[in-house]
Amino acid sequence: MDNDQPLPLDAIQRRQFIKASAMAAATAVAGGTGFSLPILAQEPKDRIEWEKAPCRFCGTGCHVQVGVQGGKVVAVAGDQNAEVNKGLLCVKGYHVGSALYGEDRLTKPLLRDGDSYREISWDEAIKTIADRIEAAPERFAFYGSGQWTIPEGYAAQKFMKGGLANNHIDPNARLCMASAVTGFLATYGVDEPAGCYDDLDVCDVLIMWGNNPAEMHPVLFSRVTDRRSRGEKVLLIDIGTRRTRTTDACQHYLEMKGHGDMAIANGIAHLLIKNGTYDRKFVESHCNFKAPDDENPNLHGKPITFDEYKRQLEPYTPEHVEELSGVLADDIRMLAELFGNPELKITSLWCMGMNQHTRGTAINSMVHGVHLLSGHFGTPGNAPTSLTGQPSACGTVREVGTLAHALPGGRVVADAEHRQQAEEFWNVPENRINPIPGYHTVKMWESFCTPTDEGGDIGTIWVQVTNPGQTLPNLNKLFNPKESNKANLEDKFLIVSDVYPTATTRLADLILPSAMWVEKNGVVGNSERRTQQWFKMVDPPGDARDDCWQAIAVAHELFERGMDGMKDRDDRFLFEVNGEDDQPVPIWEWEHYYDVNVDKHLFEEYRQFSRMKHKDLAPYDEYVKARGLRWPVVEQDGEWNETLWRFSEGYDPYVKQGEDIQFYHSSTHDDRAQIWFHPWIAPAEVPDDEYPFMLCTGRVLEHWHTGSMTRRIPELSRAMPGGYLEICAEDAAAYGLRNGDKALVESRRGSLVIPVWIDGRGQPPRGTVFIPFFDEMLLVNDLTLDALDPFSKQPDYKKSAVRIEKVSS
Amino acid sequence: MKNAKALSAFVIISLVVAGYFTGLQSPMKTPQLEAPLTIDDGQVEHISVSQPGVIPATNYTKMPQVTRALHRQTLLVSLKSTIDPLAEIKIDPKEKQLALQRRDGNRAYNGAPPTIPHPIDQISDASCVACHGVGFKTESLRISRMSHQFLTNCTQCHVESNPQHLKPAVFRENSFNGVEAPKAGPRAFPGAPPQIPHAIWMRVDCMSCHGTTGLHGIRTTHPWRNNCQQCHAPSAELNQTFLVAEPQFFPSPKIVE
Repeated sequence: MDNDQPLPLDAIQRRQFIKASAMAAATAVAGGTGFSLPILAQEPKDRIEWEKAPCRFCGTGCHVQVGVQGGKVVAVAGDQNAEVNKGLLCVKGYHVGSALYGEDRLTKPLLRDGDSYREISWDEAIKTIADRIEAAPERFAFYGSGQWTIPEGYAAQKFMKGGLANNHIDPNARLCMASAVTGFLATYGVDEPAGCYDDLDVCDVLIMWGNNPAEMHPVLFSRVTDRRSRGEKVLLIDIGTRRTRTTDACQHYLEMKGHGDMAIANGIAHLLIKNGTYDRKFVESHCNFKAPDDENPNLHGKPITFDEYKRQLEPYTPEHVEELSGVLADDIRMLAELFGNPELKITSLWCMGMNQHTRGTAINSMVHGVHLLSGHFGTPGNAPTSLTGQPSACGTVREVGTLAHALPGGRVVADAEHRQQAEEFWNVPENRINPIPGYHTVKMWESFCTPTDEGGDIGTIWVQVTNPGQTLPNLNKLFNPKESNKANLEDKFLIVSDVYPTATTRLADLILPSAMWVEKNGVVGNSERRTQQWFKMVDPPGDARDDCWQAIAVAHELFERGMDGMKDRDDRFLFEVNGEDDQPVPIWEWEHYYDVNVDKHLFEEYRQFSRMKHKDLAPYDEYVKARGLRWPVVEQDGEWNETLWRFSEGYDPYVKQGEDIQFYHSSTHDDRAQIWFHPWIAPAEVPDDEYPFMLCTGRVLEHWHTGSMTRRIPELSRAMPGGYLEICAEDAAAYGLRNGDKALVESRRGSLVIPVWIDGRGQPPRGTVFIPFFDEMLLVNDLTLDALDPFSKQPDYKKSAVRIEKVSS
Repeated sequence: MKNAKALSAFVIISLVVAGYFTGLQSPMKTPQLEAPLTIDDGQVEHISVSQPGVIPATNYTKMPQVTRALHRQTLLVSLKSTIDPLAEIKIDPKEKQLALQRRDGNRAYNGAPPTIPHPIDQISDASCVACHGVGFKTESLRISRMSHQFLTNCTQCHVESNPQHLKPAVFRENSFNGVEAPKAGPRAFPGAPPQIPHAIWMRVDCMSCHGTTGLHGIRTTHPWRNNCQQCHAPSAELNQTFLVAEPQFFPSPKIVE
């Protein structure tokens, strides 16, 4: 390289440049010679291959580009062709690749032997499970999650309900969004949000009901707040019980007491009617009114007239609402004014605040009600939207229906016609499916932790893709008894498939190493009805294998042993998959599992179920091409088109022409949605003299749920190393607590010693403390309450009474 | 209100100093820095925190005790810039290597958002923008300007590398081996402008890294040229510009003998 001397042109330019920059010295930039660096002539031997996948973590459903080199994931980039995240990710998403490479990945099946484990073969592991099931099929339960991919959940569902005629299958999503489901069902007669993320791009007002999306759904939150960087105006309102990063971006922070949301919703409805600002036309054309039927509590309630509805709302004056909720009467008026303005586009977001609530079904229905009453529904920017926390809480749990009472495609086991349809699709003999719902999550674990001779009739639980040892409420009742020898639970058997050792594998009798994320094929469904597909890109470590294969291998072992349930009407194996030569491929043998695309086969079979509730899914290959598609995906003129706004003419192909809005799955069969009145009801546990603090639990940006993956990612683990007690400065001072001090936190159910962080990540008001649940060494669920919503059977993790004491070190 | 703003600005700036160096001690990739980093050419960025004139880092919890005098001393505008617009930039391959290693030191792979090497305000984004909206360099401090357009949720992607509320400790070992920054962009021939070896996405402002406040070794030698992409071509693949990775053509003419 011989260009030490600057070129003449360069020299002139440089002189001029220096002259100009001398005047602006502080910000100017120095120049230099044109030194050239060595040439990188040849391409690297092993180039990075990029392929799409949805992120492994939350329910937002961002697409990432996964960079693979030498059989390993080496980089991740936001997918710029993905509508959800438009190239952006959050810190968890950027580091999702590291989640595969924690040094303590489980790589061998492990069987408990006293206090330790011994490595066993997969053959032995599969036989062990088959033995347990064969001995007592009705005492077996399958506990999964919203992280099951659609094919995995579908296989588990078919294995249990179509094979074992056993309905004891439930997901952790019961703890997460069951009340959102019952809220949608009670209101629209069919589950899942009618709106989509596009609402975030156009809404004028965004109301977050007990929601902290700046940390939990950061990509969606930025999608709104970044509009401000582009000069747009959007009004953000945070209704919450503590200040968070979300509050920082909001114009209004409405601090409420637990269950204040019920009073606020009633307060808004009260004023809309009183001021005559509700949408009379919308209500008269599209809505009925409902109130709970106390004698026969169900999701249908009892019909009431508009006048009755109005009368029931009368006590909820702004002043009374202020008393109940702690939110100023003027702020209630402000909310009512916003909803009363038809010119504004209003979107509501919520997640765990409204779902983990002993009146979760009620408050979900009530927020839908406020939107319906004010007509803020069905057009871009006007939507009540609940968010999910898991990548396939919607796709697998809600659509495949891996719940104790459900069948795929919005069907229920209690309905004879639904059972018959499922038996038809599965080609299993008539009356195979048990009409009695199985145990929901809390009941399942309660039964498991109850000795058999005392009525604990669940003997074996197989856990896949979740960590109940950390996430169940009131662990000392629902999980920890398994540990103690006194509990007389020796005959109970816990099987756990996971990728890392967890609080759950700690008590497992059999641990199975699983493949995760891009180590396997997958299809998931996010919060906005978007179904997303990816292909396997790297091999799982050691003997780790797909969860779906594990279930199919057990099913086949039982088939080999002659169990009738594993045969269809034609005596073929329940999960028979034919190859290109139309011959069955032995997919139960791991070496042959990827000879065919089992995911595609299962998905195509499952797809048939999706039509009844108009949640139509496209063929598998359409999802291969797309960055996800929002159902109903309907074929029109040879194209598969997704649906952005459900029930809305012009967007939803199932709405009849001229109907404008049509709730075509109405529970009253008149194309109308139900606006519910529910009275304000106090939380199941409120602080008193003995336990003076309200404990709220939740997540932090860096860690995804129980942290079993994210705590093994150095960048995330270092940023948020462990759990803490978040407390305000005044309360801390009153107890003599300083940052880093240890506090003993006690509830009626358990206790925990935990370091104090004054006004930590968030800032709770006086009388409230917060503990995140990601730390497996500081299990906040030793403290939480197991009171349930009466309809959804979802517990409330947000309101437990505790007392605090300084621990002298 | 004003006080609170000024105070938070102070805290951020003062904490940057200590944090900057602690951040370099990333346990994640343990880059083989030839420590201590001293290059005798008058452009040394590294100094020890104990050196005179350096603002001591203030622990978050001690914020209220911070004196007003100290506060005045640390306003961004009162800091002495060490930017010398007349200085010629010479690129030393060793410096370049160090710069790239240093970059690798606080990110999981090339393309990952860098971690924050100093304590942060847990709630306020404004405190980030106060400094990183501008970019600055003093003898002891280098504040990079945001390399992307203004986004409003900084901690969505950037997290602390050494949080103050708890002693950081890696929970479990991880063997993720992220791709490193490329040593250089490919060139067609000696003297040809190198192609940009990284995605441009979220790196819209080239001067953020390659300008005055950038690390030595990766700074541009010709900052007076403003239109970087006039000569330095981006990569369609890295930028995800095309869904089809390879350019497609009509078949060649069929030549019959």
